[in-house]
Amino acid sequence: MIASLAYVVTPAIDAPELRWAGLLLLLPATAVLLAGGCAMARVRSKLAGWTTVLLLLASFIITLMLYGQVQHPVTVELFDWIDFTWGDGSKFHGFSANFSLYVDSLTLFWMLFVTGLGTLIALYATEYMEVDVGQGYTRFFAGVSIFLLAMSILVMAGNLLMLYLGWEGVGLASYLLIGYYYTRPSAVAAAKKAFIVNRIGDLGLALALFLIWDNYGTLDFDGLFQALAHQPTTWPDWDVAAIPYLIMLGAFGKSAQIPLYIWLPDAMEGPTPVSALIHAATMVTAGVYLIARTMPLFALHEMALPTVAWVGGSTALLGATIAVAQYDIKRIFAYSTISQLGYMFLGLGVGTSFGACYHVFTHAFFKALLFLTAGAVMHGFAGQLDLRKLSGIRRIPGFGLISWTMLVGCLWLSAFPYTAAFFSKDEILAQCFIGHGPGFEFLGWMGLATALLTAYYTFRVWFRVCAGPVHFEPGTEDHQADAHSDQHEIVHTAHGHSPVAGATSHAFHPHGPRWAMSSVLLILAIGAVGAGIPGYMALSGKPNWVSQMVAHSSAVDAAGVTQSHDHPTLIGFDVHTGLTIVGSCAAIGGILLAWYLHLHRRKSADALRLALMSHPITRWVTIAAENKWYVDEVYHAIFRLPLWAGAHILAFGDHHFLDGVLVDGLAKLPAAAGRVFRPLYGGVMQGYSISMLGGIGLILAWFVWVWTSRG
Amino acid sequence: MLIWTSLLAPLAAAVAIAFAPKYAAKWIALVGTLASAAVTIVLALEFPDWISGKFWPSEPGPIWMEELGISLSVGYDSVSLLLALLTVFLMPLCILGSFSAINERVREYYGYFMLLHASMLLAFAAKDAILFYVGYEFTLVPMLLLIAIWGGAERRPAAIKFFLYTFFASLFMLAAILYVAWERRVEFGAWSFDIDLLISFSSSRLPQSIQFWVFAALIAGFAVKIPLFPVHTWLPLAHDQAPTAGSVILAGTLLKLGTYGAYRLAIPLVPAGGVELINVCAVLCIIAILYAALICWVQHDAKKLVAYSSVSHLGVCMLGLFALNPIGAEGAVFMMISHGLSTGAIFLCIGMVYERYHTKDMDLLGGLSRRMPVWSFFMVFFTLASLGLPGLNGFVGEFLCLMGTFIAEHDAPTGYMGVLGPGYAVVAALGLIFAAMYLLIMLGKLVWGPLREPPHGHGGHSDGRSALPTDLNLREIITLAPIAIVCLWMGLQPKPILEAVSPSVERVLADYPALVERMYADHSQPVVVAPAVVAPAETQP
Repeated sequence: MIASLAYVVTPAIDAPELRWAGLLLLLPATAVLLAGGCAMARVRSKLAGWTTVLLLLASFIITLMLYGQVQHPVTVELFDWIDFTWGDGSKFHGFSANFSLYVDSLTLFWMLFVTGLGTLIALYATEYMEVDVGQGYTRFFAGVSIFLLAMSILVMAGNLLMLYLGWEGVGLASYLLIGYYYTRPSAVAAAKKAFIVNRIGDLGLALALFLIWDNYGTLDFDGLFQALAHQPTTWPDWDVAAIPYLIMLGAFGKSAQIPLYIWLPDAMEGPTPVSALIHAATMVTAGVYLIARTMPLFALHEMALPTVAWVGGSTALLGATIAVAQYDIKRIFAYSTISQLGYMFLGLGVGTSFGACYHVFTHAFFKALLFLTAGAVMHGFAGQLDLRKLSGIRRIPGFGLISWTMLVGCLWLSAFPYTAAFFSKDEILAQCFIGHGPGFEFLGWMGLATALLTAYYTFRVWFRVCAGPVHFEPGTEDHQADAHSDQHEIVHTAHGHSPVAGATSHAFHPHGPRWAMSSVLLILAIGAVGAGIPGYMALSGKPNWVSQMVAHSSAVDAAGVTQSHDHPTLIGFDVHTGLTIVGSCAAIGGILLAWYLHLHRRKSADALRLALMSHPITRWVTIAAENKWYVDEVYHAIFRLPLWAGAHILAFGDHHFLDGVLVDGLAKLPAAAGRVFRPLYGGVMQGYSISMLGGIGLILAWFVWVWTSRG
Repeated sequence: MLIWTSLLAPLAAAVAIAFAPKYAAKWIALVGTLASAAVTIVLALEFPDWISGKFWPSEPGPIWMEELGISLSVGYDSVSLLLALLTVFLMPLCILGSFSAINERVREYYGYFMLLHASMLLAFAAKDAILFYVGYEFTLVPMLLLIAIWGGAERRPAAIKFFLYTFFASLFMLAAILYVAWERRVEFGAWSFDIDLLISFSSSRLPQSIQFWVFAALIAGFAVKIPLFPVHTWLPLAHDQAPTAGSVILAGTLLKLGTYGAYRLAIPLVPAGGVELINVCAVLCIIAILYAALICWVQHDAKKLVAYSSVSHLGVCMLGLFALNPIGAEGAVFMMISHGLSTGAIFLCIGMVYERYHTKDMDLLGGLSRRMPVWSFFMVFFTLASLGLPGLNGFVGEFLCLMGTFIAEHDAPTGYMGVLGPGYAVVAALGLIFAAMYLLIMLGKLVWGPLREPPHGHGGHSDGRSALPTDLNLREIITLAPIAIVCLWMGLQPKPILEAVSPSVERVLADYPALVERMYADHSQPVVVAPAVVAPAETQP
């Protein structure tokens, strides 16, 4: 199908004059150290928060400066890491993976929103986390700084091993921050789950690294791309063809795709800014980055990219079906993140890395916005996130801004016509119909169905929570915080709201956000609007900023390879026009459905649920969807349980059989042998004579044996 | 001379402790180990052969037993010097970590530690096989006493098992050494136990069938010490019962005697035998990795968990060595050092909790970060180092070991063919996931979660002796901080170590590429050892 395997990636220029780009790693590292210093000095103020925000802002500015400097891909050597040689030190006679940067437009594209959103969300968190000042505040910002450091390393890495360093580093940050409320067993379990599931993906990535080195003798991106460009155009053996699949496994782990998506919903145990920054906007897009970065490797097997497309498309649908049936706002957004990430992989797979990266970009804004508004709601209503227990909050003083910015986020998430996500989703789905691959057109329709569901579950949240009559039940926790904390308990009693306070208890006063949170919400909403601009231009066929960024990198559109020259159509129109129509219908249809069920006639939603529950088949579907299709339970039964049982059997065997029977048994042999002969040495003469005779006999026998064996 | 000074300093301290008042014993011990460390550091600075892979000093030492050709030759190459540095680095920290834990028979305790220190250095420095054996075996005596006197409730059986098991196994090693030396005497008419002479003799002159058995005996001896599956069962018991500092030294350096022995003796001495047996050994390593990891997962006792994790980690280390290529062997050497640091530090951390709560049962203890944030920081740090987080020391060794295993195929482009390959590496790499599982369970129980303390509350006061603060005191921080710094440094700047190890690794593996190639060329035929390759040094006894 594909005639040429060669992806031509511009060779990188070594740019020692850009060594100051290393500041992008140094600044977050400094933030980590400063937070550590604050922890050591037991600073009981917001100092760590502000140092983090300032250093991240500096990081953003450095990224902007670098943006002005880099036209070609460049490599920058920082310092040596793992580097040794043997033999003559030629290729394959040395292993080298150093701290070096590979900067091209894709790097900058990612760095811009990573550092930009990082700064904004850290600013938001300075206010959001203030109840924890003197307790976990410093630890929180240390975690955020570790995350930004690791993410910068991941994105800027000059070789795959350094990328792996960042890759596991963001996993660590995620572990530490999900487990931020460490006294809650559920948070600890979620953190552990996230790390372990990610490790499974990391294993794939590590094996891919081995194979890449074994075949190409280098882990440097530049060296690798040049080696690939000179690759013969025959399909390679399994040990080369396996590379994209192993990389994919890593990407699926980090970006929460089937089969490794299960950690992300649980990750919502972390503080909301963490959910916004790490588990929605930046870290989970690392998988998309990885595949975009190593796109040339995905030409090594013809089914590699279609596999990505299918996994992405299926995950998008699966995430949406689960989100429809959830009641916790953060969980709904978590599943929608999984679903949207699925779109990105679908885009990569069908051959529009532009669409995928653009969707990453738009998604980063509106999803961060949605999480932060959800966080503000949670902040204001004492941890209440159940959409059945909140209603009409836009009429409560202080929550107007939250509601309207959330509306922006919801419109964008549901890809309302002429919003940014509408364009980015359109780009991906259009490519499904344009590109030629196994079942791509089906994936396109599946994506459209997902879009309908997306619009529905998104506005289900907004119509329930922000619109309608004012009614709310505050949550049981003060700001979802450490229930253990002595201080917090005092706060509870001071506020005097009882956990079971019914509708609008008088003692409870929901408090709206102050300037830091409000301004961040506003900036993000504006950013989400602005993110649509490249989309308008793309729609009119003009080159735009995002496509320029992507096209001049290793993620150069695979579209050129798979695009056909005939003019595909959709429902009788040109694909893009057709999609505009169908996509708009899906979005608006979903919103109208949500409006009818969740605002206009809320009772009908309950009636619908009752109707569904009355028939055995639909009943099963409803319950299964509400229980996330029981995937966690199935995994538990298939993987964890046998391992757990096996581990117990092994531990038992190790102690009682290997050590107890074999080792101790052997140790008892000499004593047992002694006991056999003991009667001979009881002080009776006959015994000694018998043993003497026995000894002489043995010696004679030995002599005879030696003599005969010589002869 | 510096080497002997570093050996004698702790011995002198031991003598001084015997005559010193009780309260001074720990300080004398600290000074003795620090002096030894200082001398070894000076030695490392003077060491001329960091990148040549040679032994220094190269001249043989004084004769010990003339008629048997046993000499007191000592000298380091880069690998043994690094392991000696590890020993002298950990030892003062162990002494420091014991200050408040040991209140009975104090002088004996520190005296035994001094003996342990000297004998370990002797084993690493020895260039004579008998001298190596003496150092190797002599470590057992003080360790036996440390476990038997200052250990936990079941200390006696644990100590006896530890001693008999490892002592019995080293007899195989001794037999193999004696056999090779005897064969050499038959050939040249005079005894010598110089390791290099033995290597150049046996690797080229012994027929393959003999080499096979010699390798088997050597590996059998070292496998118990390392320990490999299935001869590991003494270790969890010994760790469980040993006093904290004993566990640290046991995991940190004593086990490294086994891996070092395999590296220094078994692999280069009888390569033709090694080639035949590597497969079996590698399979045992892989079983150890997964088996021990799964057992870790269901442990309730923190120390036992870490003990089994040692079995798992050292399985990775040995697998890297058996990959027979520089990447794997570099990883193995790096891992010897980094495992000693991170696991030793975890034992120190657990010991600090044990001193406070008198339990290390993870069902009774939990959520300690609430009480002991500083301790928790160190615990999390070292656990992450242990599970191979990139940027810390554990990753470099683990990654290189697995990578070496992965590329150890017959068509490896590295110039070093191997007999393992991707299949071995993939299975072994599952250990990475298991490591995350059991180590995070340990963290989840001990550090995170709701606070759980044993009924007698925050301990340390019940016996009225140790009055430790809730969180770590300055002495304990000073004990842990240096290890943390070295872990981070090794994780970010492993290059100096890797470069120093490289020539030594090439020397050790020198015979293997040709042998493996020949084995692949005609697998059914036994490898014919070319008698032509005789080093000139062979002519002199």
